[in-house]
Amino acid sequence: MPYLYQELTNYSVQKDLESKFLLDFEQNQNIVHKVCRIYTNNQEAHNDLFQEVVIQLWKNYSKFRGDSKFSTWMYRVALNTAISLYRKSTRTVKTQDIDGFTYKIKSDDYDNTEEEQLKALYKAIHRLTDIDKALIFLYLEDKPYKEISETLGITEVNARVKMNRAKDKLKKILNP
Amino acid sequence: MDLDKLKDSWKKQEVEQTSISKEDIYKMTHSKSSSIVKWIFIIGVAEFVFWILLNFIVSRLEMMEVYNELNLMKFLDIVYYINLFVVVAFLYYFYKNYSSISTIDTTKNLMNNIIKTRRTVKYYVNYNVLGSLLLMIIFNIKIINTPNGIETMLALDNTTLDSSNLLTAYVIGQAIGIVIMLLLLFGFYYLLYGRLLRKLKKNHKELDNIEHLS
Repeated sequence: MPYLYQELTNYSVQKDLESKFLLDFEQNQNIVHKVCRIYTNNQEAHNDLFQEVVIQLWKNYSKFRGDSKFSTWMYRVALNTAISLYRKSTRTVKTQDIDGFTYKIKSDDYDNTEEEQLKALYKAIHRLTDIDKALIFLYLEDKPYKEISETLGITEVNARVKMNRAKDKLKKILNP
Repeated sequence: MDLDKLKDSWKKQEVEQTSISKEDIYKMTHSKSSSIVKWIFIIGVAEFVFWILLNFIVSRLEMMEVYNELNLMKFLDIVYYINLFVVVAFLYYFYKNYSSISTIDTTKNLMNNIIKTRRTVKYYVNYNVLGSLLLMIIFNIKIINTPNGIETMLALDNTTLDSSNLLTAYVIGQAIGIVIMLLLLFGFYYLLYGRLLRKLKKNHKELDNIEHLS
């Protein structure tokens, strides 16, 4: 029964791919959470965007050849989904919603000021444009300019100029 | 607040409290996308189907007998085949542009491809609206120039209006019809695509402007 054999093989290949994806994703899901946090302002929208990113990642996973790190690939898909594919507008920032999130700092000596700073940072990022958000996010994640320019599809020189402007805008919001 | 210091806090942040289990991620991979790309595809296909059906229905109407009497059938046949060719060409480009949309592309290319796909449908709709308008004008000129053309068109056996009043009423009626049709279409597209693509267009413009920075 070659047909049945083929079907079973396809099924098991699919299952392997699925479990590999779930493992890869679970280890890197923080990236997606952070993207959702900067592009949405309430839990419901956060979950919606998160789900859309998962769908997009899974849809393209078979094309992921491993020539770059899975996380690099995730940054691109997550940002693309937030900037171009996600429908709900997040222009109006509701402060009470942002305050609803809890920002925890990983530290042995617990420091409240760092958490407050993180909250202020998220609040300030929320006031930037979608493109500036992406630039600041990639800066905070320590991504090299080469990767930033390749993700957004702009030249490295222009990425630097635009990044400096985005940082200036952020500083002005943080220190009015 | 210093950005480099904030970067340290950023790196130390914990987001695990919102961590989602493998089971839930698995469920998400099997759920349906609600992205604008999907909507552009659905609406695009719906528009093609709408105009194809409309053309089909119009060609089956009893009005065709009137066109026969006015000797317009040969002209309509030619229009029909040209239209068929144009629809196939548009469908090909729509499919080609749609399949080039990929989330793993750079942000700029992704946006370009989404806008290009949408533009194909926009051109198709414009082609239909302008084509219909042109056909209506050609028909009306032919009808007005044919003796008793308006009476045949409106299936009037006996009318109290004299021919110049009938002509004025007919032209005004047709003009109002065209204006209403155009307003409805404009309102429909403004609502539909204006809302759907507003955010994307704004981001696309910003990304485009970066090219002129240095």
